[in-house]
Amino acid sequence: MTDSADKLFNPADYFTFVLDQEIRDVGMPGGYCGFALQLAAEPDLQNLQTRLDLLVERFPQASAEIQRRGKRYAWVATGRAIPLERHQCQPDQNESEASQALLLDIFNRPESRPLTVHWIGGANGGTLLLIWLHPLLDARGGKILLDFLSSERPESFKESASLIAAKLAQWGFWKKLQLFFKAKRHNTEANSLDSCLPTAVEQGPQLLKLKVRRYDTDESQRIATLARQHTGLTGRTLYYLGCFMRAMELVGPPAAKDGYCIPYAFNLRRQNAPTPVFGNHIGCLFARATRDQVRDRKGLFAHLLSQHTQVVRDELDLAYLPLMWLGQWLAPAAYAKILRKQHSGGELSSLWFSDIGELSWGKKGFLGVAVTDLSLMCWMTLPPGLALLASQLDGKLILSYSYLSPAVDETWLDAVIAQMDLELLEGQSLDIAL
Amino acid sequence: MKEKLKTFIFAELIYHEDPASFGDEDNLLDAGLDSMGIMRLIMFAEKEFGVTLPDTEIEPDNVGSLNKLENWIKRSGQA
Repeated sequence: MTDSADKLFNPADYFTFVLDQEIRDVGMPGGYCGFALQLAAEPDLQNLQTRLDLLVERFPQASAEIQRRGKRYAWVATGRAIPLERHQCQPDQNESEASQALLLDIFNRPESRPLTVHWIGGANGGTLLLIWLHPLLDARGGKILLDFLSSERPESFKESASLIAAKLAQWGFWKKLQLFFKAKRHNTEANSLDSCLPTAVEQGPQLLKLKVRRYDTDESQRIATLARQHTGLTGRTLYYLGCFMRAMELVGPPAAKDGYCIPYAFNLRRQNAPTPVFGNHIGCLFARATRDQVRDRKGLFAHLLSQHTQVVRDELDLAYLPLMWLGQWLAPAAYAKILRKQHSGGELSSLWFSDIGELSWGKKGFLGVAVTDLSLMCWMTLPPGLALLASQLDGKLILSYSYLSPAVDETWLDAVIAQMDLELLEGQSLDIAL
Repeated sequence: MKEKLKTFIFAELIYHEDPASFGDEDNLLDAGLDSMGIMRLIMFAEKEFGVTLPDTEIEPDNVGSLNKLENWIKRSGQA
């Protein structure tokens, strides 16, 4: 990637860049996300550094910087190396707590680089932390990048073109226009229901904190079975969203309004595709329900499933692509207003959510070392100040809650997480490891 | 019918190093067909084969393999 080959943002990159700017504008680090892999032993760190060097050589975007190009933005290669940053837990500390504290210290520090990699060593293995800036890549890209760093055949990883650009190129002018107006109508509808929020706070210095709920194999299987019963084969994500809406409603939303709106992204890559690595290749949908609908558990899941099915039948899953394409020419602040604000002026999103799906490194592990645990984190705008990232490691469900403190009250969040357990498992008693 | 379904699935929904080796009885869900993929597949089948596939019948017995999918589409076409 040379000066003449600057990589312009694709429409979804710009979408995430705008949210990154919203986060930075209130003094937080920006739209960063993280994967933290707990490893059973220290991997060959020299080998890992060699892989990071290879990453920059093969994919210069990994250490590029953002520059403006007219009304648009682009990644411009710097050629800078990505040094593996090493940290160590003190031997006299509770290793799990110390590791998480160190991890959050790193995640809370001001940053301008798009990608950093950290090893937090402990007495028994340690944590590999990958932090990336969302305009650089999406979560599935993050997993592919980790696979590149760990692969026995890194030469087999190749970049490919933007899937959003490819989709847009398939459609003629009238099709794009038709989809655009569909999306606009859908947006207007989404904006008509004022969203309950996890906090009434809209400003002030914040720290990002993290709570992780880990479910064992039996619990995870039970949750999967219940999800199948309530939201069908197509609705695991909807089950998590519905359970969260109910948990928040039953505990009581700190900013109580008309209903809930949770945007959820979906991946445009073919499942299991090892490419594209960089860029965002996602579309966006909304799960919405009134507070009355949320109080009726069975009815809520039927409603969310019907809403989702109708949205896909109406092609609204793809309708946002032309909308995002046009958004590229809006200034960040103007676009952010459209993305975040409802007609009333309130925040649209009751929660930031992503279901990353199954993440497994199998028997080979990461650079030959077993991956024993996982947590995910991301910065978000305030409000809502809360993000739920769902994933599964070797079939075990992990829910990672990132939240802004002091904006989101910790006692309230603990109560919501406890209620979420009851919702997910339909009230069965739990023995959940924290 | 199966060839059209297979071409669509491996061009749009699931990455597979060698789609030709994927058998008619092989499990599409294990191969990575996810919730959004299932809905897209149903939309494709309805348009391509002129049938209506009821939402209430979206289950592994109907979408779990190419054979199951073909049978479901044929049954729905006769209804």
